[in-house]
Amino acid sequence: MKNLSDQQLDELQKDLDAIRDEVLADLGERDANHIRSMVRLHRKLEVAGRVMMPFGFIPPVFLAATVSLGLAKILENMEIGHNVMHGQYDWMNDPSLNSQTYEWDTACSSESWRRTHNFEHHTYTNVIGKDRDYGYAVLRLSDDDPWKPRHTFQILNYAALSILFQWGVALHELEAEKLNHGKSHLKEKRPFLKVAAKKAGRQAFKDYVFFPVLTLPVAPIVLAGNACANLIRNLWSSTVIFCGHFTQDAETFTEEEAEGESKGHWYLRQLTGSSNFSGGKWMHIMSGHLSFQIEHHVFPDLPAHRYPEISEKVQKVCRKHGIHYNTGSFGKQYSTVLKRILRYSLPDRFTHRPATA
Amino acid sequence: MLAKITQSKTLHWLGRQLLNREDPRAFFDPLTTAINPMWVQQYTPARVERITAETQDTKTFELRPANRWGGFKAGQHLNVNVEINGTRRTRTFSLSSSPALWESQGLITLTIKRLPGGLVTNWLHDDLKAGDVIGLTEAFGDFLIPEEKKPVLFIAGGSGITPILSQLDTMALEHYPGPVTLLYYVRTQSDVIGEEKLSALRSRYPAFSLNIITTHEGSAPRYLKGEDLDSIPGLTGCEIFLCGPKGLMDLATEQLCQRGINEDELHSTFFAPPAPAKLATNDIGGEVTFSTSNLTVDSKGDANLLEIAEAAGLSPQHGCRMGICHQCSCTKTSGTVVNRLTGQVSGPGSESVQLCISIPQGPVALEA
Repeated sequence: MKNLSDQQLDELQKDLDAIRDEVLADLGERDANHIRSMVRLHRKLEVAGRVMMPFGFIPPVFLAATVSLGLAKILENMEIGHNVMHGQYDWMNDPSLNSQTYEWDTACSSESWRRTHNFEHHTYTNVIGKDRDYGYAVLRLSDDDPWKPRHTFQILNYAALSILFQWGVALHELEAEKLNHGKSHLKEKRPFLKVAAKKAGRQAFKDYVFFPVLTLPVAPIVLAGNACANLIRNLWSSTVIFCGHFTQDAETFTEEEAEGESKGHWYLRQLTGSSNFSGGKWMHIMSGHLSFQIEHHVFPDLPAHRYPEISEKVQKVCRKHGIHYNTGSFGKQYSTVLKRILRYSLPDRFTHRPATA
Repeated sequence: MLAKITQSKTLHWLGRQLLNREDPRAFFDPLTTAINPMWVQQYTPARVERITAETQDTKTFELRPANRWGGFKAGQHLNVNVEINGTRRTRTFSLSSSPALWESQGLITLTIKRLPGGLVTNWLHDDLKAGDVIGLTEAFGDFLIPEEKKPVLFIAGGSGITPILSQLDTMALEHYPGPVTLLYYVRTQSDVIGEEKLSALRSRYPAFSLNIITTHEGSAPRYLKGEDLDSIPGLTGCEIFLCGPKGLMDLATEQLCQRGINEDELHSTFFAPPAPAKLATNDIGGEVTFSTSNLTVDSKGDANLLEIAEAAGLSPQHGCRMGICHQCSCTKTSGTVVNRLTGQVSGPGSESVQLCISIPQGPVALEA
């Protein structure tokens, strides 16, 4: 990681805090209108998808219904749920957009998500051993993680994780890898499992039992359509999220580096551990503005639709402090993710380049 | 009845299963309210029918709540929700109309004075228009007409008259035997709220006597005096109601005590404008009430709400302890807090706060 003196870190903190304060002072109707229009669009897409699905025996209708429901789930998970749960809209004082009570349309319970994502991942971002989002304990993506034979075909694990992404996320807090190594006991995980089973059961009931049974004569079509919609969402969210921290230049950190760090150092870690990708307005919306992963990690609780305008200012701060601002096209960033997964499949002696640039 | 309960239970169960929320009907609000804002399910809506000026700084808002609103008793108040620049604000106001108007025509009125610097009252005066829709809660409060038909004395100051207007209207309709006396303190004659209503009451309700006292028309202020009370026959046998600014309430309580009336026999309801916020270090800290845990503790200095809760033996959900993760966000029901990071002072009403960066400024109540 780039070395900055304590004084430089303080300066960095001041510069970024100034950007944050400016946005906080300006929060208002524009932000409320944005999130409400997203919620309205979600309702339209979901209602359209559910209504069209039983008529899916007509192939173009099946396609439209599946895409509509898939987009509804993507929009709800990425631009609405994830951002609302970060507390981005708590200032609106609207109980339906409250970070602590919002429940999203995916297998993972909001409660578990807030612990593992908002707290663990956003506090210990890319700290190997502490940030379990780094490779999800399934993939080896850095030198700090010693190679084992099971990593050889990890590209297949990656494919499986992407296809079943919502279930992987739902079970993330189980810390299955620790259970296997005897580092924790299933007993301690019982309260988590209870909540997880309830939420996951609810999601499965809705998409795979209730709506198919409701439209019994065409149940297989509805079942298939709902499964496809979930698959579309799984693949897209997983891809967007992998582009956020596993690109070529996204740095990783050791526990020592992060211990007792200042706010300025935390900012530096967020800036260098995250990566963006470019795109149009709807690309950003459908990725929940995680295409601005850097801005999101620096300011996780500012309304995400502000990231594009904040980005200019963050880039200026990065240039001032000589910090690399990691961005590129979606294709370019994703290809470096795949390369990273493949490179770390093999022991270090087969690869020459170090993990971080 | 049973079928109805079962039906709504099933509906809620299904709502949770299918829509991940406790209030499934509100799921469709974003679509239905685009057609008609009165179709909102998340809160009880009310349409503004008419706005009339009472005095220079007071207006009466005539509202038509949705049919599902539960009604009220004379003297009660309710919370009003309005959205101002993207943020939902909640404030409490007294109903100034009689329950009979709600029952016969489905209308209620709120009479609201503009507070200098007040965010919500100024917005209501300047931006709310006839035809707009605002949110209401059910009515609450125990500032109620006595069931036993005892003589009644009302002492009101300024906009403190509003719940009393509702009570007087109701008492006249019900032919409450009385005698009923109102001592109404206003700065000048032009500050009298509900003037027409009061004079109409005087002519049609013989048991009612009215004494309007202006405090700021002479060369020196003329506040409540003992003799105002001495002219009331059978004072000690009266049911007494006080509503007005703190100065008047204190004076009245003192004078009544001198006349052998106990403070806890008085019915009072008190509306104070929020104190202007200061950012001095000597006014932080205060009594913190955790309503769910039924616990009240005192805090001093710059301890944040999370530390205060933990020191009191509670373990609220939390995460980063630096204002990033919002794990510790919690609803503050009343009181002001200072944001440790920004130095910003919150409003006095209900809103979500991050415990780990909020320092109480005076008494604070939390849903925790």
